[in-house]
Parts: sequence; structure tokens; C-alpha cells
Amino acid sequence: MAEVPVSPDILIDRFGPHPAYTPPGGWQDESRNPAERLVKTHCCFCGQQCGIQLKVRGNQVIGFEPWEEFPFNHGMLCPKGVKRYMQGGHSDRLLDPLLRTPEGFRTASWDEALNFTVKRLKEVQDKYGKDSVAIYGGASLISEKSYLLGKFARVALGTRHIDYNGRLCMVSAGTAYKLAFGVDRSPLPWSDIPKAQVVLVAGANVAECAPITTDYLWRCRDAGGKLIVVDPRMTPICRNADMYLPVRPGTDLALYMGLLHVILRDGLERRDFISKYTTGFAQVAESVRPWDPRTAGEKTGVPPEAIERAAQLFAKADRAIALHARGVEHQSKGVENCLALINLCLATGNLGREGAGCAMITGQGNGQGGREHGQKCDQLPGQRSISDPEARAHTAKVWGITPDEIPQAGYSAVEIMEAIHRGEIKALLSCCFNPLVSLPDAKFTQEALEKLEFFGVVDFFMSETAHHADVVLAGSLQEEEEGIGCTNEGRVIHIRKAVDPPGNAKGDSWIYVELAKRLGKGKYFPYNSTKEIYEELREASRGGHADDFGITYEKIDKNMGIFWPCPTLDHPGTPRLFEDGRSFHPDGKHHFVVTPWRESGDPVSGEFPIYLTTGRVVSQYLSGTQTRRIGALLDQYPNPRLEIHPRLAEQYQLNDGDWVTITSRRNEITLQAMVVKTIRPDTVFIPYHWAGKRSANRLTHRTLDPRSKIPEFKVSACQLRKADAPPDWATAANSDTTKGGGKANARLRVLR
Amino acid sequence: MSLLHDRSKDPLWKDEFSVFTSDERYVTRRQFAKFLTLASLGMFVGNLWIVLKSYLTKKLVYPPAEVATLGEIPVRGVKLFSYPLPQDNCIMVRTGEDEYVAYSQKCTHLSCAVYYSARDNRLECPCHQGFFSIKDGSVLQGPPPRPLPQIVLEREGGKLIATGVKVGGNG
Amino acid sequence: MHGYEFYVDPSRCIGCQSCVNACAECETHRGQSMINFDFIDRGSTTATAAYVCWHCDEPTCAMACPADAIKKGDDGIVQSSLKPRCIGCSNCVLACPFGIPKIFPELEQMMKCDMCYDRTSIGKRPMCATVCPSQALSYVHPEEIARRREKPTNVFYFGKQKITTLVHMMTPAETDAVSLDVLDYMWEGTYVAAARSE
Repeated sequence: MAEVPVSPDILIDRFGPHPAYTPPGGWQDESRNPAERLVKTHCCFCGQQCGIQLKVRGNQVIGFEPWEEFPFNHGMLCPKGVKRYMQGGHSDRLLDPLLRTPEGFRTASWDEALNFTVKRLKEVQDKYGKDSVAIYGGASLISEKSYLLGKFARVALGTRHIDYNGRLCMVSAGTAYKLAFGVDRSPLPWSDIPKAQVVLVAGANVAECAPITTDYLWRCRDAGGKLIVVDPRMTPICRNADMYLPVRPGTDLALYMGLLHVILRDGLERRDFISKYTTGFAQVAESVRPWDPRTAGEKTGVPPEAIERAAQLFAKADRAIALHARGVEHQSKGVENCLALINLCLATGNLGREGAGCAMITGQGNGQGGREHGQKCDQLPGQRSISDPEARAHTAKVWGITPDEIPQAGYSAVEIMEAIHRGEIKALLSCCFNPLVSLPDAKFTQEALEKLEFFGVVDFFMSETAHHADVVLAGSLQEEEEGIGCTNEGRVIHIRKAVDPPGNAKGDSWIYVELAKRLGKGKYFPYNSTKEIYEELREASRGGHADDFGITYEKIDKNMGIFWPCPTLDHPGTPRLFEDGRSFHPDGKHHFVVTPWRESGDPVSGEFPIYLTTGRVVSQYLSGTQTRRIGALLDQYPNPRLEIHPRLAEQYQLNDGDWVTITSRRNEITLQAMVVKTIRPDTVFIPYHWAGKRSANRLTHRTLDPRSKIPEFKVSACQLRKADAPPDWATAANSDTTKGGGKANARLRVLR
Repeated sequence: MSLLHDRSKDPLWKDEFSVFTSDERYVTRRQFAKFLTLASLGMFVGNLWIVLKSYLTKKLVYPPAEVATLGEIPVRGVKLFSYPLPQDNCIMVRTGEDEYVAYSQKCTHLSCAVYYSARDNRLECPCHQGFFSIKDGSVLQGPPPRPLPQIVLEREGGKLIATGVKVGGNG
Repeated sequence: MHGYEFYVDPSRCIGCQSCVNACAECETHRGQSMINFDFIDRGSTTATAAYVCWHCDEPTCAMACPADAIKKGDDGIVQSSLKPRCIGCSNCVLACPFGIPKIFPELEQMMKCDMCYDRTSIGKRPMCATVCPSQALSYVHPEEIARRREKPTNVFYFGKQKITTLVHMMTPAETDAVSLDVLDYMWEGTYVAAARSE
């Protein structure tokens, strides 16, 4: 059983998260003891993949230095990138494999841990069938590892259930772009943004989630560009927005259809572009007919005049870009929202030219690469479909098996958890994923994990999910294995290895190869290094949309990254897609897709009258497994706060800093209120980076977009109640008011 | 920046304790230490020069002066004379049939007049019992720190001529 | 120095505190950040501002220092207080019109930004301006700033005191009043702000 062996507090005490404040080895004088080398690589966190140099002394990463030559970020970094180096030598770092005991966990040798894992996986499969085992991967893994996981699931285990944490991230955009363009990638390089005349930022908290993109937006404005921001909250970029549209959560679709309605009504669409390069326009034009500004305004809470003006602004520009992120994608209409934005761009001819287009802002480090090479339940390498016979044939050939041996599509991430809950899936092997914090409806996830007969985790820290594991295999950080990733722009970059994993921790790729060997499938995994995996990946992706065949590590280094598709070694890569006007569909046309309206999955009504939306803060990353262990980042924003408008707070007699219990149809948590005017008065916001009783995902629901299977994180219903007393997790040190804002410079530490 | 404001309007304290490093007139410890080092170095070099010079110049040549004739004094006899200047008292000793030596009579300790002790065949200073060797004037015993300067004697047609003063060793 | 100038533009600041974290990495002040970062009024706005030392032409902190511990060099940088001289009296903290110097009582020492002197003196850029993702803090050649719509200024008036600084502040090209409350933008059949009863 995968119940937590002892109380979580004991595990937290032993394994963390403990905040680290000093670099490994202490604050040593650089001049007396300089770093031995600087390794040019990329940040381990978000999809911007900023270039950064790591300072290395011996086998430790001890600091960072900006990498000013890398063209995407020119040395710029966000605070997470600045402090990332504190992970390697962290005291919480798992240095040995761990096996569960009744008292907690004990260290084990690799042989024991790996053999145990293989034994249990085989037992479960023998008893319940091949598909009773599922694999979880992640989008922070280098492409080699995400490819390896896809192959491992299908070849070594023969299961069809493999999916990844990117299911919670990019799949809405991916599905929409595949439907419209036939390919899933940002069609434009970021260098196009400053060249646009209008940028529409929809559901993207650029300042906190993709900070470096802020500079691109500001440069666009310097050149006279206009910025339109759509968000239920006033995020930091809204201060410089020319238009701010405070859309009601879950109603974005109505807004974009309203914009398109105005454009068509006033004849501002580009007829020649539409007729030459697209299909399906007539149906879409018909579908937005009911969405006049007044109707859209009533649905969204955005003034009709604003809708009119935004539409005029967007359509009359010669070059306009629509950028979108999880705000529009984390909805049960996530695919429709993205399609509606794509429809806007297609209708106004904004595609395939400098300074014009539609792009998703990929969230995770290798969110792009991680959704290309087979880590998804329905995907094969090269962004191929697992149901396509040609794709199966090509992949099978590269893998050395017959096409029949490749399973069909399996369950997506949330569906896997649901299958575990109802007993269909009995075993789970997870890497680079913390579902207890990241999946919606945390109680459901916990119940499901407790039902697992075998649960193995590969990780470098003991995450909250790993508390439930039967075996924890000590894996590697991003700087401990070499490989490639793909950034949000579609630029394939080189992640360099800076150090070896410490202690007895091993590279993730070694772990999976060893498991495959012990499962008797070693001959399909003859890899001694990630570079060998990459050689096979190049071949496997060849001819697919995400064609990396023409990309080598050396070519990336020489050119500061190569944009795919890059079919041959002398091909320079493809920074901008669709420049010839052709989509990746067989008919070569871009497809307008109709986006019918429907309500969100957790209706705001009656007992639960307030919209709850969840999101992020700049100092934390995803489930916080890494960033909640870095002291400076934790001090910047220590605990989740409930953002609430004064008008709403007044109704519940809440002042800034008061404890308030938020209840949804699933669960409740108690947090301190942060009374701010920068959010809609019918909406509250909670960042989700914390676990247990501070986890926002205790409140969210498991409604999925039917096509992308992404959960609807952004729209839930809740009620509020002023709490009588602080919750038991709160201590005096935890409580603070908004007045101080972030704890910048608040704590003085004695210098060495 | 410091050029922009008008010095004459500044109160004295602003000038004495200027915040601009370029206007500072006080000496820092570093500057002082540098100065000491350079001065010390200068003095060392100076001294070195003097030493080298004196090392290279062993003989001091003065105009020759007649001291005595050969056979004038008996063996183990003494004649006093002045060379090179009248105040430079010297002593000549006939140490053998045909051997003559001459030294400055000024004891190198405190300048008492040394005399020749025929019994011990050496030059002795009565003040503090300093004894010098008759062969080369080196100190045999006592407080004198340096050997006696030796007067160089040359023979010229039956006469003994003093031609120079040899300062012993490296001075 | 080296042809670069430092520009501060609070309107671009997004409050990420990358500058604060990067500054704290320096070995000279190990873990303490010399950036002055503020939330202007989080209850009303997400506006934030990050400031470095302005390196005034006639630094008030240096004039007020009783121990003559703060010096301004020929390159224009006002150095942090000299360790052997500073007595931790906080005169400079009180004197600086911008509120830049910070006192560290356990060290009896004032520390402040010295524009990463170890980097700028050899032609590299200061850490904060290098990492700032919105370039609210920038260290560039003046031609690059000319591309922006805001204009740099380095003259400030504090009561009767006129201060000119090495670091420039970007001031807006236009000064329209900007509304900061979401209510002013929202619509529920009518503009929400207008419908509010007084």
C-alpha cells in the first residue's frame, strides 16, 4: 500500500523542505578562491529557458554568472534563475535510494532498490495485466529523457499508460494549434514581439510567470506598440497596458468571439488572406454572429465599448500578435479559447510574417520538447500520433520492434489518477512530477495514491507525493545530465552537464536504462550516455513535424540554438513558421475551427457564489519542491495568501491579514487574506505552490477539457468564511500583512 | 564632479574632510608606508653606492714623503714621522735587517698613540691594552675594532719613501 | 563608466526582485542585498520600485559622515562606507534624501550599493541591471535609452536642496492620470465604478 508510513511532519523534518540560505561551501571570497569553471547552460525552471552560466568548483555548483551573449535573454534572469544553484548541495538532497519501512524510509543500495522496483512492477503486471502499470513523466526533463520514458513505457513495460505533468500545462494550446495549423509549436520567434504594433496578452501573467518576456513587451511599447491585457487580475504588466480587460473567470471564449464579431461586423477582416490560406471561415463567421459586444459584455463583465475598441485596435494594426498562457488554457474550454484566439489572428491575416502571429507561452523548462517525443499518452517521437500507422511503423523501426508491439493511446495524467482511484491501475512509476500538489482535487489524489499496490518515484528531493512511495530512486538535477531541450519559441537548446550527481544519486537516464535491463529489455536500451539517446532521438523524430534530425549539440552551440523543423544537417532551422503560407495539414491550409460556448465545470451558484482562480507567484515554481527549499525565494512570498478585493472582503468583515477559510465543493483550507484592489470583486485568487493544508489544489475540481484533458484550474466556485483562529500550520513567524509586501531585506543574517 | 562647486564658498571642514578622493590631502597609511619603503630603499641604495665605492678604492694616494734612510734606525728600532699631513702621526719600525714597516700611530679604538713593544714584537696601545700585529697591523687583542692603517714604504736609492696609506680590509 | 550610464525606470518594474536576489549573491556583502525595493501600495496597485544608490555628485551621506568614511572617487561612484572608519552611527541613513544606506547593527557598519564596483571598474555591468527582466534597472549606452519614450533626468529637488546624480531616473513622456482600481474598468450592465453609491 502506498499510505504514508509515518506522519508527514516526521518526513518533512528529515527530508525537508528546509530553506537553504548560503551557497554550498559558504560565502567564500571569490578573489581568493575563484570558481574553477563557468558552464554555459540554461535555467532549470520555466519555458523561457534563459541562458545562464553556472560557477563550478570541484563537483559542486556554487553560484551563477549571467550569460549575456545568449540572444533570448541577454543575461537577464528572474529570481528563481538567480537562486537555482542552491539546489545541488542542498541538505535535503537525496543521496541514496530509499525503501519504505514502517518507521519511514531507509537507505538501500542501487541493486536492492532497482531489483525491488522491477520485482514489484512485474508482479503487478503478471497479476493484473500490462496496462495496470502507469508511467508519469515531466516537462522539465531534457528531451532525451522524455523520449526515453516514452520508449520505456511502451517497450520495457508494454503499457499504454504514460503521461506527464505537461498535461496540466500545454495540452490545450497543443491540441488547438494542431487542429488549426497541424503542428504544435509557437509559430513565431520572440524577436517578433517588439516588431508588432499591437500585442494582445490573454490569460498570461507575464511579469510573474515569464518575466523575461516583459522586456520584449516593453520594447514593443518603446517602438509605439500597444498592449492589451486580458486577465481577471491586474498583474504587474497591466500597469503599462493601453487596454485592460478584466474578464470574468471562464468567460474568455465569449470575449474573443465578441472581438471577432466586431471585426467581421466592421469588415476589418483580411479577405485575401482568408481565401488564399484558410478553410472553415464561413462556419466560424456564422458562429460568432450572436456575440455582439453587449452580449459578450454581459457574459464577461468587460464593457462593450472596450470590446469594440480592442477589436478595432487589433484588427486595424498591420502587425498584431496574440500571446496566451494558462489563464485561457486551464479551462474546460481551454482548446476553444486558444482556437478563438487563433481565429482572430487568421481573420486579421496575422500569421507567417515578421511581427505578426499567435503564440502560446510555454510554461515548463522543456514544455515544448517534452510534448514532442512520445511522453504523452497519444504521442510518438517527432510529434507523431500513436494511432497513425505510418508513425507507428517509423517508430517501431527505430525502436527495433514490430508496429503491433506499440500499444495504443492510454490515459492522460488526471485520467491515470482516476484509474488508480477506481482500482484499474495498480502501480505507478513517476519522475519529475508532484501530483499531490499539482493535480486538482488533492484529496482525491491522496486517496488514489493510498490505493496503489506499488509506487516508485525518481526524484532528487523528497516531494510530498514521494512520501507515499514504496521506493524513491535518487535522481539527478538538470545540471547533472547533458541533453537538449526546446524553449517556448521552438528553439532547441543545449543543456550542459556541470557536475556529477552527488553521493550515490544517479542520472535519471541511468536509472531507467537499469530498470529496462532488469526487466529483460536491455537490448532495446543500449545507452551509456544521454548523447547516445539523442542520436536515436534524432532518427526517431526524423520526418515528423518536430524534426530534430538536423540538429546536433555542436550545431546548437555554434548558432545559439536551432529552431525546428530542421530536417537535414545543413538546414539552418525554422525560426518562423508558415512563412510560405502553408500549414502542416495535408491540405496545406490553416483551419478555422468553430468554438461553441458552454459553461465551466464547477458552476458559481448558490452556496458557492465566488469565483476561485489559482495561479503562481514569481518567486516559486510549480509545486515548489525545488523553490520552497531556497530560503531567499521562500522569504519573498512565504505562504499562499488569498487575494480578495476590498468590496468582497467587506462583505465578510475581512481586513488585510485576517485568516479566512475558503471552501469549495471538494474541501476547505484556511489562509490569510491579502486585500487588494487588483482583482475582480467576484473573484479570489490563491497561488498553488504549497502542499498539504496550504494547497490550493485541495479546492480545485477534476473537470477536464474533453479534447486536451487539461484540468480547469482557473475556474472553480467557492465560499468564504472568516476563520475563528489561525490554522494549526500557522506560527507567529508565518503571519505577516500585505503592508510589508514581500520580505525584501527584512531579515538580517549574520555575515561570515 | 569636484570641479563643479565653488571652493571659496565652502566652509573649512568641507575642504579639510573632502568626500572626493581626488581632493584628499591627508596621507593614508598605505601612502606613508610607501613613502617609508621608498626612502628606506633610497638610503639603502645610497649606502650601497658608498660601500661599492670604498671597496673599489683600496689605496689612497698621497704625495710621497721621505721618512728615513736605510740603516738610520737599529733593528727593533722605532722612528716617528708624519704622513701624509703634519697631524697624521705615524710610527716606523725596523723589524729585521732589511725589513721596515710603518703604520699610523692613531689607535683605531680611541686614537691614543700606539708604541712598539720590542719585547713582544708588536704595537701596543697603552690606553686600553689594544695590541696590533707588526706584520699587517691587524688587531691581536683588545677593543680596537679595525686594523691599523699601514703606510706603504718604497725604497729609492737608500731612502725610505712613504707613498700611500693602506686601509685594512674593507674598511 | 566605460561609456555606460545607469538608468532606473520604476514604471517598468514588475516586482520580481531578481535584482534583490542577484545583488545578495555578491561575496562582499554575502547574502545581504543592497537594493532598496518597495511595494508602493500593494493594496491599491501592483506597482513596485527598485532603487540603487544614486551616486550623487555631492553625496549628502558622505557630507554627513562624522568618521569621513564615505568617499566618492573620480569615476563618480560613491563607495560604501570604509570598514575601518564606519562607527555605525546612522547619520548617513538619516541624511540620504533617497533613503539608500542601510545600517547593520550587528556589524556596526553601513553598507550600500557601490554599483558593483568590482564589475563596473573593469567594464562589466552591475549585477542588478544585468538580470533585471524588465530592464527597469539598465546599464547601457545613452543611445539605447534614446529609443525609449521616457526621458532620463538626474536632477532632483528636496526642499531647498538640489541634487544631481550619476544614476538617471526615467520620467514619463506623457503624464495621463491612470486609474488603478479594477472597478473603473469593469462592466455589469453599466460601469461598476460609476454605479457605486457614494
